[in-house]
Amino acid sequence: MDYIAVFTPLVTFLFVGLFGKSIGDKASQFITCAGIIVSAVCSVMLFNDVILHANSRILFLSSWIDVGTFSVEWSLRIDQLTVVMMNVITIVSACVHVYSVGYMSHDKAKARFMAYLSLFTFAMLMLVTSDNLLQLFFGWEGVGLASYLLIGFWNHKESANAASMKAFIVNRVGDFGLALGIMAIFMIFGSVNFSTIFENVQAHTGDVIKFLGHEFHALTVIGLLLFIGAMGKSAQLGLHTWLPDAMEGPTPVSALIHAATMVTAGVFLVARFSPLYEYAPDALMVVTLVGGTTALIAATIAMTQFDIKRVIAYSTMSQLGYMFFALGVSAYGAAMFHLMTHAFFKALLFLGAGSVIHAMSDEQDMRNMGGLWTKIPVTYCLMWIGGLALAGIPLFAGYYSKDMILESAYADHTWFGEYAFWAGIAAAFMTAFYTWRLMILTFHGKSRAPIEVQKKIHESPKIMLFPLMVLAMGAVFSGAYFYDGFVGEGRTHFWESSLHVLPENDTIENAHHVPEWVKSLPLVMGVSGIALAYVFYLFFPVLPSIFRKIFMPFHLLFYRKWFFDEIYNVFFVKTARGLGKLFWKRGDKALIDGLGPDGLSSLSHRIGRRLGQMQTGFIYHYAFVMVVSVVGLLSWVFLRTNGGIL
Amino acid sequence: MITPDMLPSLAFYGFAFILVVSALGVITAKNPVYSVLLLILAFFNAAGLFVLLGAEFVAMILVIVYVGAVAVLFLFVVMMLDVDFKSLRKGAMHYVPLGVLLGGVLLIELFVLFKARFGTEVFPQADTLPEISNTQQIGAVLYTDYIFAFQVAGLILLVAMIGAIVLTHRTRPNVRRQNVAKQNATTQEDAMEIQQVETGKGI
Amino acid sequence: MNNMLTLTALQPLWAELFMAMMVMGFLIFGVFKGDQSTRLLTFLGILGLFFVSVLLMNAPLGKEPLLGGMLVQDVFGRNVKLILVVALAVSYMLSLKYLYDTGFVKFEFPILILLAGLGMFLMVSAHHLLSFYMALELQSLSLYILAAFHRNSAKSAEAGIKYFILGALSSGLILFGISLLYGFTGVLDYTQLGQIIAELEGIEKTGVVFGMMFLMAGLAFKISAVPFHMWTPDVYEGASLPVTAFFALAPKLAALALLLRLLVGPFEALVTDWQMVIMFLSVMSMVWAAFAGLVQKNLKRLMAYSSIGNMGYALLGVVMLTTEGVTATFFYLMLYLIMVAGVFAVMLCMQRDGVVFKQIEDLAGLSKNHPKLAYAMALLMFSMSGIPPLSGFFGKMIVFQEVVAQEMYVLALVGVLTSVVAAYYYLRIIKVMFFDAPDMPYSKGFGVFRNGVIIVSVLFAVFYVLRPDALLPFARTTATDLLTPPAIIQTHDIQLDN
Repeated sequence: MDYIAVFTPLVTFLFVGLFGKSIGDKASQFITCAGIIVSAVCSVMLFNDVILHANSRILFLSSWIDVGTFSVEWSLRIDQLTVVMMNVITIVSACVHVYSVGYMSHDKAKARFMAYLSLFTFAMLMLVTSDNLLQLFFGWEGVGLASYLLIGFWNHKESANAASMKAFIVNRVGDFGLALGIMAIFMIFGSVNFSTIFENVQAHTGDVIKFLGHEFHALTVIGLLLFIGAMGKSAQLGLHTWLPDAMEGPTPVSALIHAATMVTAGVFLVARFSPLYEYAPDALMVVTLVGGTTALIAATIAMTQFDIKRVIAYSTMSQLGYMFFALGVSAYGAAMFHLMTHAFFKALLFLGAGSVIHAMSDEQDMRNMGGLWTKIPVTYCLMWIGGLALAGIPLFAGYYSKDMILESAYADHTWFGEYAFWAGIAAAFMTAFYTWRLMILTFHGKSRAPIEVQKKIHESPKIMLFPLMVLAMGAVFSGAYFYDGFVGEGRTHFWESSLHVLPENDTIENAHHVPEWVKSLPLVMGVSGIALAYVFYLFFPVLPSIFRKIFMPFHLLFYRKWFFDEIYNVFFVKTARGLGKLFWKRGDKALIDGLGPDGLSSLSHRIGRRLGQMQTGFIYHYAFVMVVSVVGLLSWVFLRTNGGIL
Repeated sequence: MITPDMLPSLAFYGFAFILVVSALGVITAKNPVYSVLLLILAFFNAAGLFVLLGAEFVAMILVIVYVGAVAVLFLFVVMMLDVDFKSLRKGAMHYVPLGVLLGGVLLIELFVLFKARFGTEVFPQADTLPEISNTQQIGAVLYTDYIFAFQVAGLILLVAMIGAIVLTHRTRPNVRRQNVAKQNATTQEDAMEIQQVETGKGI
Repeated sequence: MNNMLTLTALQPLWAELFMAMMVMGFLIFGVFKGDQSTRLLTFLGILGLFFVSVLLMNAPLGKEPLLGGMLVQDVFGRNVKLILVVALAVSYMLSLKYLYDTGFVKFEFPILILLAGLGMFLMVSAHHLLSFYMALELQSLSLYILAAFHRNSAKSAEAGIKYFILGALSSGLILFGISLLYGFTGVLDYTQLGQIIAELEGIEKTGVVFGMMFLMAGLAFKISAVPFHMWTPDVYEGASLPVTAFFALAPKLAALALLLRLLVGPFEALVTDWQMVIMFLSVMSMVWAAFAGLVQKNLKRLMAYSSIGNMGYALLGVVMLTTEGVTATFFYLMLYLIMVAGVFAVMLCMQRDGVVFKQIEDLAGLSKNHPKLAYAMALLMFSMSGIPPLSGFFGKMIVFQEVVAQEMYVLALVGVLTSVVAAYYYLRIIKVMFFDAPDMPYSKGFGVFRNGVIIVSVLFAVFYVLRPDALLPFARTTATDLLTPPAIIQTHDIQLDN
């Protein structure tokens, strides 16, 4: 069952990838969908087995590298954390697979697309089931590759190519951090195996890493390096610029990779290393600060964007910020809880947005939409569910997880916890606001679309709506249903040893005993955010422009995404290009080429020709060389041993 | 004065001198037929050396195999193929000085080596059992102690035979061959036809 | 008598006996059935080789000499023979279709390969200078004939003659070395030789060293180490392609095993003397092959230089006689052989109407005409040049790792630099295949065996990274057994008897 769950996507990827052309689109779609659904069913069964029956295990597949003290295995670590991730991945992935059948119906390379989706799913499963850092890194790079392929899937679009490269390059920075982290871990622990690392954390709490004459606390350094890796994948502030651009990919890709699964890999990584982070409070502080700031800043940007997918993308970034500061205050369970609920409702929102885009003949700008709710009522309802969950309205999934995170942050009683709490509250207000701004601009008011587009507006086919309904179920019920297990009384039994929290850091426990106002504040913020959105965009549509004028500098700052792209462009891209040009002209052309192709290599050729000339083809020449060599060798030996005799 | 116990030494130097000279002759002689004849001479002298060592079986084998078969075959080949050895040897003469130098160096080295090792001792004597001839001695070990080497030698000969056939044997279409089975199966009717010849007409 | 030759007493050598029987049987069969039985004989040969491997696996192993001290069947020999069996079988697979395509079908071909294989088996097992020489000659003679096998081609005949004459010279060197050794020690058996040599001093030791040098020079010819390599490019070029493939796969491994057994056995006490020679051969081979390979235009000559250079890398592991070093050597050779099998299989596919193309330029545009072939070749070339994560990288890595571990940094540096130079000529092939204007397509229908060899070889090269230590234990047991001094085993046996 474990193997079926993990390896079915690989099998379908290989099969469809290799034979997709010969078996046709229909068969390819069927095989990939069937494969992922099988995988999802197995995952659910695993959930039952591992979590409800507390039966976590490590399955050994085969040894991989065994060189001296360095040994790595291929194995599957099926514990509670893994199983939660596996369920999220396979269920969302199954929905996206099915949805893609409808969404990509006009595309030419359906088989290739489906194969990539399966490849991504497999890599992601590899990432979450790995039992050592190297295998995790394999999965980590695998999802990076699949993401690159899928963002640039429409490779005829220049912007898609640029975006896929941007995603790949920005992620390299994070991966570099992760790789350094892995090396640091190997240096300190002498192993990359999770079990070994986690068992020995306490023995290494006092270790230091010496660098440039300074001593650094080893665990903090490791924690920070791993977090840099997590930041890249999870689009945290600083390394986030690729995520909005990644919306160039097909919408199902955005839903699967850039909302539900890959971007949460960073959250998973930190949660996985909870036993280590618990002993590195300084690293946790950084995680909290970065997470809180990301949540806030991403929300401000989301308020001003007009591209429907970008709004949701910034929203994703903001929600990831929530997860990170939950991790930072040791509320790992809360972070994972939000990860799961978020996966459902964000995938729902994305796929809903995809449905809208599909209906609007590939229009993404909300300024050209409006009044759609009568024309695509099912999508409209489903988007409402997603929006309510995102805004954190009671009974919907997001309410439980987001509240838990904010309460935990408050309950941490540290200055950075406090900061994260207030940042989160502000972001909650903005979240509700931009969500309803999106809803109203898209579905209400008068239609602003051109006439010919309006004529073609149609509800999406059933094959696209069905997955949305499945996700909507998740967005509605997953919060209330799993509350107890993830963060409630049953959490110790639920997580067992897969998450590790020191008793003095148990913020989730404290979160159940915070003042009443803390518990109700997020809801108040959410509701007022929605109300404000109604006021601004439905009842008094002039207000936004007035505000825009009054807060001109702020709006510009938000609208231009805090100028991250511009700053990076000036500081990194341009300098890198300049340096590159310098090295190319001065270094490569003058130095390397001068010595290399024109110098060394032609010299090599000359030597080669000279040696070739010795190969005359005459036997007696050859024999002569042999005899000369023998006599030479003998004389050498003779003189060496008997120099005295002569 | 020559005493009888000096005879073996005398014989050795005689054989050895002629052996070296004739070997030199093999590679310097202008006429290839002379070369082969000198080679035969060298073989005979080597056989003489074996006799001195008490290895008369090896000596006889040398004469029978090398002189009787190999060298005679060489002679046939040299006489049948009209190879212009002079032109073949042209280029090689450039290398004579260097060759002499190399050979000289090697010779000096080996000489020093042998000198230091064996000193004045002329030759190690083979352990001979007086009762049996060395043909019997070889026979006693050839199929017991050295059965392996003997069998492999057989295999090598097999390879040589296969090689000779593979590389030279050609089936020519127009060659008539004796077919024993066909001959034996021939009946009187096939071979003979009786014709009644009328007088004055012929067939 | 206790040295009666019963079949049971010969059980360790059943594999060799069976091979000899196969030769006889094949010969009789071939003589009666004619040349058209070649196909059947080849299939039978593959089947028989499989049986040989079964016999080998079940052979009782030990360091006790057999047949009056002539042979020994130990783990080292068994493992090397197992590799050889695979090499022989691959040679059969590669040769069959070629013989029929070119219309030069002769039933002696599989028999000669088998005879050469038998010679190699005996070489690997030789434990006596007499059996050593006999086995070497059995193998060499078969190889000479194979080189000249395509007798209608002047090149092939020339290759055969060259190989034969130079081989005779090397045999002469070996014989002279053996006679020196015999003269200075009075024995031919490896064990006794080792015991006597260990006690020699002064000029007598020099005499033995001289004998050893002659022996090593002769063997250097057999493994085609520079400067005794001159025959290799000419013979590789002249011999027909499946023969070249066979030359690249099997004989050198056997000769190397023979050399190793000598070096660690009788010549163990002379380690300081031969170490320098091996180092010299290794460095010369790496450097010479790297540079001379650059200007080659003929693919077969290029492969000849490649094999010379790779023998240099393999010898690096022998320089320091450590278990890890010898392990690295065998590991390297195994990976190399698997790649080479694939390369030759690809080369065999490149023919038009029975004519094989040999020049590198003939590869032009292979990627257009036969993309699968081109990608297979490209992967193999990348692997040969040692680019990670393909299998060739791991072979080089293990060897260099060991050289560095022995603190021979100069050797490691030479190795790395020459592999960079050598990478150029591998990559040039890729360049020609993918970027030059395409020529006429080759004949279709590559045959099951060839395709199989290519697929296995390429898959191995690509997926080796998943289990990069897969062949290491095998190489390690081989090396460990080689370096286990027989004395310990003998005392162990005596204790058992008591």
